Amino acid sequence: MRKPVGIIYGVNDVPPVGVTLLSGLQHVGIISIILVFPLLVAREAGLSRDRTLDVLSLSMLVLGIGTILQALPRGAVGAHFLCPPVFTAAYLSPSMLAVKTGGLSLVLGMTAFGGLVEVALSRALHRLRPYFPSEISGFVVLMIGVAVGSLGLRNVLALGTAEPASGLHLTVATITVGTMVGLNVWTQGAPRLFCALIGMGIGYVVAAGAGIVTAADLAAVQAAPPLRVPGVAHLGWSFDVGSAIPFVVAALATPIRTMGDITICQKMNDAEWVRPNMRSLSGGVLANGLTNIGAGVLGTVGVSTYTSSVGLSGATRVTSRLVAYAIGGTFFLLAFLPKLSAFLVSMPRPVVGAALLFSATFIFVNGLQIITSRMLDARRVFAIGLSFMVGIALDLYPAFFAGVPPAFQPLVSSSLVLGTLSALLLNLLFRLGTRRTQRLLVDREQSDPTKIEEFMEAQGAAWGARRDVIDRAKFNLTQSVETIVEGYALQGALEIEASFDEFNLDLRVSYAGAPLELPDRRPSNEEIIESEEGQRRLAGFLLRRYADRVQATHKAGRSTILFHFDH
Amino acid sequence: MDLREDSVGDITVLEVKGRIDSTTAPTFGEKLTGTLATPDKRLVLDLRQLEYISSAGFRVLLLAAKRAEEAGSRFVLCSISGKVRQLFDLGGFLDLFSISASREEGIAALR
Repeated sequence: MRKPVGIIYGVNDVPPVGVTLLSGLQHVGIISIILVFPLLVAREAGLSRDRTLDVLSLSMLVLGIGTILQALPRGAVGAHFLCPPVFTAAYLSPSMLAVKTGGLSLVLGMTAFGGLVEVALSRALHRLRPYFPSEISGFVVLMIGVAVGSLGLRNVLALGTAEPASGLHLTVATITVGTMVGLNVWTQGAPRLFCALIGMGIGYVVAAGAGIVTAADLAAVQAAPPLRVPGVAHLGWSFDVGSAIPFVVAALATPIRTMGDITICQKMNDAEWVRPNMRSLSGGVLANGLTNIGAGVLGTVGVSTYTSSVGLSGATRVTSRLVAYAIGGTFFLLAFLPKLSAFLVSMPRPVVGAALLFSATFIFVNGLQIITSRMLDARRVFAIGLSFMVGIALDLYPAFFAGVPPAFQPLVSSSLVLGTLSALLLNLLFRLGTRRTQRLLVDREQSDPTKIEEFMEAQGAAWGARRDVIDRAKFNLTQSVETIVEGYALQGALEIEASFDEFNLDLRVSYAGAPLELPDRRPSNEEIIESEEGQRRLAGFLLRRYADRVQATHKAGRSTILFHFDH
Repeated sequence: MDLREDSVGDITVLEVKGRIDSTTAPTFGEKLTGTLATPDKRLVLDLRQLEYISSAGFRVLLLAAKRAEEAGSRFVLCSISGKVRQLFDLGGFLDLFSISASREEGIAALR
């Protein structure tokens, strides 16, 4: 793993203490936006004000534990990146159902059960790899960007509330996002590192000045005690088979986001990134499952990794693991400081929306980059394009999906989940008829390099291969055929066989004739100029250098060259 | 392969489009070495639209460099990028020729 040039403090770097703590605070600010989910469930359960404060405090503890688990530097648990969790809509919907049928104890028992399902899934993740190619990972990241951006817009425009956004709301949102973007683009040092925190602070002050934050909004802050040890009186656990399906669906949907977020973390921290690292993904899903078991045990709702936080890391270029520890520590403190927690939860909607929009932009572009790093044939274009339409339909026409049976509501809980399911199913369907090995016969009398290149192009797109690797393969095929036809082949056609899996591209060129020379020393300029033999040796040298591994064999008058490319 | 010749003052600019392989190398070589055989000739070889070059093409370039030296001519390659540049690098040709980033820089280098 090589740190990209743009990242200031990479995952293994040690930033100064001030940078670490303030970066942690910045993340806590953006994570606290979503603390409203456990509050919604607590209200639905009819908990008293004190018990609701307990839920809020214990939720902070769960977020702290989850953040640290994901960032652990080694071992089977955790993605090993700064990738904090947050409460997720995927679990909110079944939790709201469960609280109605079995109270809070059923929510907690079923949340822990959902965590167990995620843990089990994490152990089988590597087997699912063929069904999760890179462009689908990129699509998931793209859809996460869309989902976060959509949530941001809902907050900025105050959609779904009694009063639509006024000019004042839009002004506050514009000032907030303008501050964040302006500091990020045109400043250096501390203003850039803490652009989101500064933006949220300025947004909060402007919102208060404009009367958007009222005394009523701050009543919960005033009522909360400054210091309090959270109680556990609300804890209790039960299990209901009838509630299992929606929680299983939530447990299957959550890893989609987790894997997408971790993929961004991997790409952000590695200049040489080419594909998702399955070990890190498995560890990340395992950590999320364990956090959800903890959420159930400690009395709150289910979590998933938080894309906005990942986007914030990318935008500020600080991805250090130590920031995760700072976030964890801050949440542990906040668990005992209810007044501060309540203040964070009361952040005005235009500021919340602006922060979400800010981080969504980074995620969206990362998704596009991952998708376009691969060659795409019609099958892959349809899998991604149609799934994007299916996913976005949920955001555009939510009323149409309102009639979905409650048990399957988690499947339509977000455009991300619906779009990803569509992409996975279409990918599965389009795998039919895609062959991993293809052959081409080249007539030595009429060898056409364009046909050879078209063969490799078509295969690369069908396999979803990397463009740079296919370009190298094209050169090795055309140069070897050219050289063999000119100086080595005696009779008959040349046979080309190309085989691919996600990690390897192997080309086999066989023909009747003498073996092609593949020297590991470049012929001198004089040798190249003076004879065609020198030119052929140069060809062999280039072929050897361009492939990651070469092998030439000769048996019973027939020669075979194997070019191997790492993918 | 298409060759297009322009003149900028007394400097010749030869633009190559397409592929230089064993089929096209003889035509390319004839044109290039023919031009450089003129004493004191100055030539910019614009490779911006070159898609592919094989060992046969590299041999032509080495031969041209030799002819140019014999005739007292000078030539500069320009606008080599992407996979073609990668091949120049692999074959150790980047240090063998004068290479400019753009046609304008190539012309300036010969003045």
